[in-house]
Amino acid sequence: MEASFVTRTGPPPGATFSAFERFYRENYATVVRIAYGVTGDAQAAQDVAQDVFVSAFRRFPDPDSAPEAVGWVCAAAAHTSLNSIRGERRRDRRQQQCAAAPPPDSPEDSVLAAESRAEVRRALQRLPRRSAAVLVLRHSGLSYAEVAEAMNVSVGHVGTMLRRAESALRKELQK
Amino acid sequence: MSHVPVPVLRRMQDEPLAVPDTDRRHLAGCARCQESRRAVEADAAFAASLLTPPPADLDTSAEWHKLVARLRAPAPVPAGSARPARPARDAARAPRRLPRRLAASLSTGTAVTAGVLLVGAAAAATLTTVYAPTHVATVPITSSDLSAFRSITGLGEGLAGGLASHGPTTLPYGQLTWHAAGQARKVASLAQAQAQTGLTGRLVPAQLPQGIGPVRGIMVQPQVTETLKFSATAGHGVGGSTLIVRAGPGVLVQYGGQPGQPAPGTLIVVAMRRPVATSTGATAAQLEDFLLDQPGVPPLLAQEIRMLGTSALPVPVPAGVTAHQLTLGGVPAVLLSGPSGAASGVIWESKDGVVHAVAGLVTSADILNVAHQLS
Repeated sequence: MEASFVTRTGPPPGATFSAFERFYRENYATVVRIAYGVTGDAQAAQDVAQDVFVSAFRRFPDPDSAPEAVGWVCAAAAHTSLNSIRGERRRDRRQQQCAAAPPPDSPEDSVLAAESRAEVRRALQRLPRRSAAVLVLRHSGLSYAEVAEAMNVSVGHVGTMLRRAESALRKELQK
Repeated sequence: MSHVPVPVLRRMQDEPLAVPDTDRRHLAGCARCQESRRAVEADAAFAASLLTPPPADLDTSAEWHKLVARLRAPAPVPAGSARPARPARDAARAPRRLPRRLAASLSTGTAVTAGVLLVGAAAAATLTTVYAPTHVATVPITSSDLSAFRSITGLGEGLAGGLASHGPTTLPYGQLTWHAAGQARKVASLAQAQAQTGLTGRLVPAQLPQGIGPVRGIMVQPQVTETLKFSATAGHGVGGSTLIVRAGPGVLVQYGGQPGQPAPGTLIVVAMRRPVATSTGATAAQLEDFLLDQPGVPPLLAQEIRMLGTSALPVPVPAGVTAHQLTLGGVPAVLLSGPSGAASGVIWESKDGVVHAVAGLVTSADILNVAHQLS
């Protein structure tokens, strides 16, 4: 009988934030990047990151002793952001935020960009959940090994999942 | 040599150094593989153009301070749970109630409905309509999560004392009915329990922890079937479909303390057929989306359930309880320890599809020793 890893729930009595802060600072940008890949909105991505790290603190108050914590927050970022774009009302609100937000070169570009982002979000929603997750994890910059850890699959399987997901994404957007 | 597998062609695009030289050499001279590679590259570039986020200007410190403020804030009380949280019981009293609460929870309405939702959501995570978990995994829950479940399901505190062996209840999105193949009952011997349930695995450890006395009782719980029939107006494509969860039968063996001990110890050993879910008329993804998208389902809990994977049996872990994930007899197990360390329990699913649990007023080491004998 052997312990593979330990999971604690809830902060231990007298817990401080110092260990968790280091973990947070090392992984915050990655989590926001993953969430941005789904939401297409900087503020929404940071909101997702807050939720992810609140949840992570419940689960890993001492992340130094939990080597799986990094993969967990990456997967959580993908799932939480995919959850966040569910529901017509929420999606419409974000579409408006995107349309009202930034920059491109002309009003036509801006409208096209917003429509394109909304289309991508709709396509991600229609994909199987794990396909959508592997897409956003890889295209946010995670290596195959990091994606494998987050998705709890072998590194060799990441290529298979990614290929299928990219093909499915193209088909969804060409419907 | 055979052609380069498509996943390898895909990885070649991102991490070329990770691809074997033999594949690269084959690709250089193979028109078919080159054509496949072009298709792979085109889809990858297309996805990258849509999904790659731009460089972000982040104020990590400001966000950290916001996070700390959130972590320090008291947990919100969900709507519909007017009852204030109970004050913490003292350490000496809380563990004494554990076995009774565990036994009672097997039949409470909240457990029934939470079971349907948890198992249903996990079932929905599979690609088929049948869910038969192969291992246990933890899901951290809070008292707010439980209150939210009660609020969502319409099952109030009045049901906490237990349900009849069969009955219906109306939910906002359909009708939940359940029935047991008979009443939970005491039996005279282990042989009788095994004959009635077909659970022939070992239920009695050869060596008991110190302070634990003889068997006090053996209970048999016949199989329970829970049926959730979604109303026609339920969204996400589940309208009119039915989700059926079958659990059990099960056997519970209860040990008492040694006579003359000032603080009688208790120990229970449970074995139960794993829950199996079937669904008609709705896909797995639709069920998951519907159940976890219900108003009031705590988003963090929904996320935890989604991340369980496709074959895990969720083990709820309340705040303050420490959960260790172990392997026991070659299968995953979860060890739970109360705040004082005086009470603990372990749960695992054996390879023949039987869920086992051992819990009591004994230390973690003693619990693991018992579990090891039974696994």
